[in-house]
Amino acid sequence: MATQNPREGALYSILGYMLSGLIFWGGVGYFADRFFNTSFLTLVGLLVGMGGALYLVWLRFGR
Amino acid sequence: MRALSAFSAKGEEFIPPSSKDFVLPPIFGDNAFTTKPIFLIGLSVILISVFFVLSARKAAIVPSKFQFAGELVYGFVRKDLGEEILGHEFKRFMPYLFSLFTFILVNNIFGIVPFIQFPTFSRISFAYVLGIITFIVFHYVGVRKQGTVKYVKDILFMPGVPKPVYILLTPIEIATYLIVRPLTISLRLFANMFAGHLLLMIFILGGEHLLQGAIGLKLVSPFAFAFGIALTFFEFLVQCLQAYIFTLLTALYIAGGLADEH
Repeated sequence: MATQNPREGALYSILGYMLSGLIFWGGVGYFADRFFNTSFLTLVGLLVGMGGALYLVWLRFGR
Repeated sequence: MRALSAFSAKGEEFIPPSSKDFVLPPIFGDNAFTTKPIFLIGLSVILISVFFVLSARKAAIVPSKFQFAGELVYGFVRKDLGEEILGHEFKRFMPYLFSLFTFILVNNIFGIVPFIQFPTFSRISFAYVLGIITFIVFHYVGVRKQGTVKYVKDILFMPGVPKPVYILLTPIEIATYLIVRPLTISLRLFANMFAGHLLLMIFILGGEHLLQGAIGLKLVSPFAFAFGIALTFFEFLVQCLQAYIFTLLTALYIAGGLADEH
């Protein structure tokens, strides 16, 4: 985001990414759990989503 | 809001305000389009239009007090939200940003204006509509500026990533741009207005209830009222801040669409 106010822009974008990562991959894990009758995939999904979101944040703001 | 006389009976159980207090009955018959929030929306539009038309009508080099007040608000939105974030292209977006800011600000402040005392955006559908409009605007700007293919490709595929990783990242990007952004911007406004109004109701209605209790309770009730008044000022701060944040985020999203690389 090429804003002249990068601090605030980054803050809200990062929040958005973290949230979407958790919701999407956590959700995938949750439904995989229901499908396979397991109980650990939600956690795996949440961790994957968190990692993906952090990676995205690093790609966008950290490089 | 519940009428204050609801607690007139002595020793009656205190009924804490709840989300039911936000569902106001229609004023005329059972037409759902005549509820208080609808009228407040209309009132806010009239107030804002009259104020800014009057303040701009006899625009002079040496401004009157009225013109000065109008220009103060406009100057704030233009400088802090327009130029600062959108750069040299900001002028195109000023009408939207300015209307958005004043509209939200006036509707929020309705929450603490005596006899009106209802922040319109504590009804979530109003906040959703603004969120959807902002959502359409920033995607439209991005598509127009960069072309559909490039805009969508830039969102979906972050450059400089090995291909298999896209399986992990692309859903997150889609969720961010299509769901999380419009949802969070609306919810932030709604939740702040809802919680603030609930808080004020608790202290004011609670103080009023204590006043009707035993003598010991009567002595405590001024503190509840005092706290209610202090919170009213705090609410004023929150209301201004939320109007600012909503407009700021809209500007930031538009700036994201305008930026060539993202």
